[in-house]
Amino acid sequence: MKTGEIKLLIVDDEVAFANTLTQRLKIRNIEATPVYDGEQALSKLKESVFDVVLLDLKMPGMHGLDVLRQIKKIYPEIQVIILTAHGTDKDEEEARLFGSFDFLKKPADIDNLEQKIRKAYREKKNIERINGE
Amino acid sequence: MKKFNLSNFKEWFISHDLFGLLGSDRYKSLKRRIVILEVALSILPLLIVVTISYFWFQQILKDDYRNQLKWDIENTGQSIETFLNERLSFLRFLTLSYKYDELSDYKKLSNVFYAFKREFPGIVDIGIIDDNGIQIAYAGPYKLTGVDYSNQNWFNEVVIRSSNISDVYMGYRKIPHFSIAVKKDLPEKEGFWIIRATIDMETLKKYVYALNIGEKDDSFIINKDGILQTDTRFHGKALNKYIETPIPSNEQTLVKECDIKVHGHQICGYSPIKNTDWFLITVIRSTPYARIPGIFRNELFFIIIFSILLNTFITTVIAQAIVNKIKQTDMEREEAIASCEHAGKMASIGRLASGVAHEINNPLAIINEKAGLMKDILESSDDLQKNKYKFLSLLNGIFDSITRARTITHRLLGFSRRMDLSHDLFDLNEAIKEVVSFIDKEIQFRNINLVLNLSPELPRIETDKGQLQQVILNIINNAIDAVEEDGRIEVITEMRDNNKIRIIISDNGIGIPKDKIKHIFEPFYTTKEKGKGTGLGLSISYGIIQKLGGNISVESEVGKGTTFSIDMPLKYEAI
Repeated sequence: MKTGEIKLLIVDDEVAFANTLTQRLKIRNIEATPVYDGEQALSKLKESVFDVVLLDLKMPGMHGLDVLRQIKKIYPEIQVIILTAHGTDKDEEEARLFGSFDFLKKPADIDNLEQKIRKAYREKKNIERINGE
Repeated sequence: MKKFNLSNFKEWFISHDLFGLLGSDRYKSLKRRIVILEVALSILPLLIVVTISYFWFQQILKDDYRNQLKWDIENTGQSIETFLNERLSFLRFLTLSYKYDELSDYKKLSNVFYAFKREFPGIVDIGIIDDNGIQIAYAGPYKLTGVDYSNQNWFNEVVIRSSNISDVYMGYRKIPHFSIAVKKDLPEKEGFWIIRATIDMETLKKYVYALNIGEKDDSFIINKDGILQTDTRFHGKALNKYIETPIPSNEQTLVKECDIKVHGHQICGYSPIKNTDWFLITVIRSTPYARIPGIFRNELFFIIIFSILLNTFITTVIAQAIVNKIKQTDMEREEAIASCEHAGKMASIGRLASGVAHEINNPLAIINEKAGLMKDILESSDDLQKNKYKFLSLLNGIFDSITRARTITHRLLGFSRRMDLSHDLFDLNEAIKEVVSFIDKEIQFRNINLVLNLSPELPRIETDKGQLQQVILNIINNAIDAVEEDGRIEVITEMRDNNKIRIIISDNGIGIPKDKIKHIFEPFYTTKEKGKGTGLGLSISYGIIQKLGGNISVESEVGKGTTFSIDMPLKYEAI
């Protein structure tokens, strides 16, 4: 797998978290870009192509679930992994209902997170292949 | 999270005293009231019935007595009438059997007199009077031959009516007596003669006294002019004027109530005696008819006493059972309150825990990533010196997150300190800011505009900080639930009357309908959806503010919003 092949968008209002995680994932050959709220995320998605979105739920302004709905509406092939500090069963249920690829709770294990991201990436590629045929 | 014990609710109930049933004294008082009310309710109709029947019975007995009395008087009157008629008849018989000349003879008259006296006791003497009123013959104990009666009333009466029964008089004899006389016309020539007998009044007395009357009663004869014909017990001697009651004019025997000034209420009986100007009168002052109700009364008294005792006993047993039931229900209610309090506490803890999880997981996640990055760097490079500043920066980030998490846990501890009241001296504005900071995330998240309008001139307040914060948190939480997104909540503090601080928490939410607002401080009353509110928050708040000597009130308008005002004394004083 080539460096930077996976394009990941991190959406989290915790700036320190988003930035540090971006660095760690880069070490793992995942090209991550941090943004800090829902609006920024949607505009960033317009600008460039992303394969996977790592999305927080409880943020000022747009709620993560609303962002998820928007993303799945506009870019149904993009896989969204929820990563939240406020993960209730109800949140998870709703997130899955709106089409999230996975639901992880903070603090998350980096290897597990990496695996999920790669899995999501493969899922996206599969979908693209099927759509292309 | 602050804990609440049962005493909060007890205080709330006692301060409202909804049923007047709390405390063991209240149960006793309730029992007493039930017994008194029940006994009164059951005894009252009994007393009414007994009283009515008592008077009814008395009236029957009185009527009965009056009828009996009327019958007695009538009989006695008839006896006296018969007595007089017999004697008149005998005189008439003499005028038919003997000639004037025969009876003018003293010897013959004496024989007739003794025969007469033998047959009819009470005869004092007998005399023959000629048409000039001169007594020409006389038989008896006195010497009355030749006495002239022509001027006397009885003589004139007998001349007109052929016979006469005179009123009582003392006459020559100075003893009360009366006379009976019969006129006989002479056959050959014009003229007449009269045969006359006098009768001792004592003879009639025994008829009068034969009436079965009591010691306080009286019976006697009077004439039509009201002159007493016999001696009386209470109304004077014979030949005196009887003044007390008017004499009835009719010829019927009559028994009626009569009020006499001297003797009060009495029963009077009148019976006219035929062929005379006399009335037999009975005045009854004793009340023989009241004696039987006396016996009746004693029996009734025992019945009533027995009824009251039995009733009181049964009612006491029932009341005890009722009060026990109420006591038990109260206990169950208190247990239910305690259990709901626990549930409410659990719900609050759940809500808080979810918030706390978010607040603590975020710094943990940062620590996780920063530490993780340091590990990543160490694994990929051995040049520590090169990464020194990077490491220091990452470690600072870790310490920042630790501080952040520590702040949260410390604040939690502040909320769960103790159950009893504490006396903290603190800045109320700071306390409010602390509360707000705790729910800041939720407010931001829901885009609520929370405005703090806190007076900078507030003195420090002495009260239980934790409990007051609990109340403020509770009301702000309610406000958050009441407003929609982009709603507005305002918290104001201001000085009142130099010794009070007012905290006003207002929102522009849905408001509370008028019919519900009066219930909102009651336990278990909630307007929130099922499962969302315990209905305890505001009642707990009410209890706390009362306990802290303050006052909480609410105003609300549907669609416009709700305002809670809390007045707190500057210094807590035990109530």
